[in-house]
Amino acid sequence: MITAMMVNTMEFAEREIYAVTIDAPIQVVWDTLVKTDEALPFFFGAVCDTKDGLKSGASMRMITPNGKFASVVGDVIEFSPPHRYAHTMQFTQYDDGPCTVTYELSEVDGGTLFKLITENVPAGTKTEKSMTSGGPFITANLKSLVETGRPKLSGRMVMTLGPLLGLVTPKRSRIENWPL
Amino acid sequence: MFTDEDMSAVFHALSHESRRKVLDLLKAEPGLSVGALAGRFDVSRIAVMNHLAVLEKAGLVISEKDGRSRRLYLNAAPIQMIQDRWMSEYSSHFAQRLTGVKYAAEAAANKKDPK
Repeated sequence: MITAMMVNTMEFAEREIYAVTIDAPIQVVWDTLVKTDEALPFFFGAVCDTKDGLKSGASMRMITPNGKFASVVGDVIEFSPPHRYAHTMQFTQYDDGPCTVTYELSEVDGGTLFKLITENVPAGTKTEKSMTSGGPFITANLKSLVETGRPKLSGRMVMTLGPLLGLVTPKRSRIENWPL
Repeated sequence: MFTDEDMSAVFHALSHESRRKVLDLLKAEPGLSVGALAGRFDVSRIAVMNHLAVLEKAGLVISEKDGRSRRLYLNAAPIQMIQDRWMSEYSSHFAQRLTGVKYAAEAAANKKDPK
């Protein structure tokens, strides 16, 4: 939906912040966030895949559980448990350049403040559209998963529909095109 | 948790026209400084600061220090949690189709018959 409010975004879309307070210890939130080799409902049912774990400078990619497609590829910029994790990311199905995602965790009254910050998102692109809907999805689903042990309905749906998504995934997203 | 108290704070924050306008401005221009934001309003800077305090308390606005100024960002997560309470993926899909038709039809009617 295009509104008059989008007129000024070109200049300013370089940084957006999403935040929730999660009723759980910081270590639990961190461990949930950085799990690899397991389908993550808050990441649209994708698995975070690396050569030998997440660390600064490592390549990472988000792949379908069957290992056939990579939806997102990137490089880890910072990995400082349990406070900060930043990586570049690029959607394999779009031509847009990479943007940066940073997760910041801090201990606050009532649990853990979980922030998702997106930077350098190319304005007016499909990447921007995906990031704008992805931000609230990820923060709200991670919160629900950590606090209640299960993702929200939207997260459960992507897990159920995961196998079907392969049918609509473009060829260019096939895993062999995106080596680690 | 997103308690009823948290939700009340969000609705209270959204219940004032000026505060909704603050969110409009921050949605369009993430990272707007407090000074620049205050400049967009006819009311006093103090009044804008009070509105900001209410929005920050509700979690709808996040501020970050940037040198001597403070940059402001809209946080959409509390609004997502309101949607989560009453809307499923299915109902949001069909509600969006409905509102999509509404916006398109109203825009078309406006073009034909400018008021």
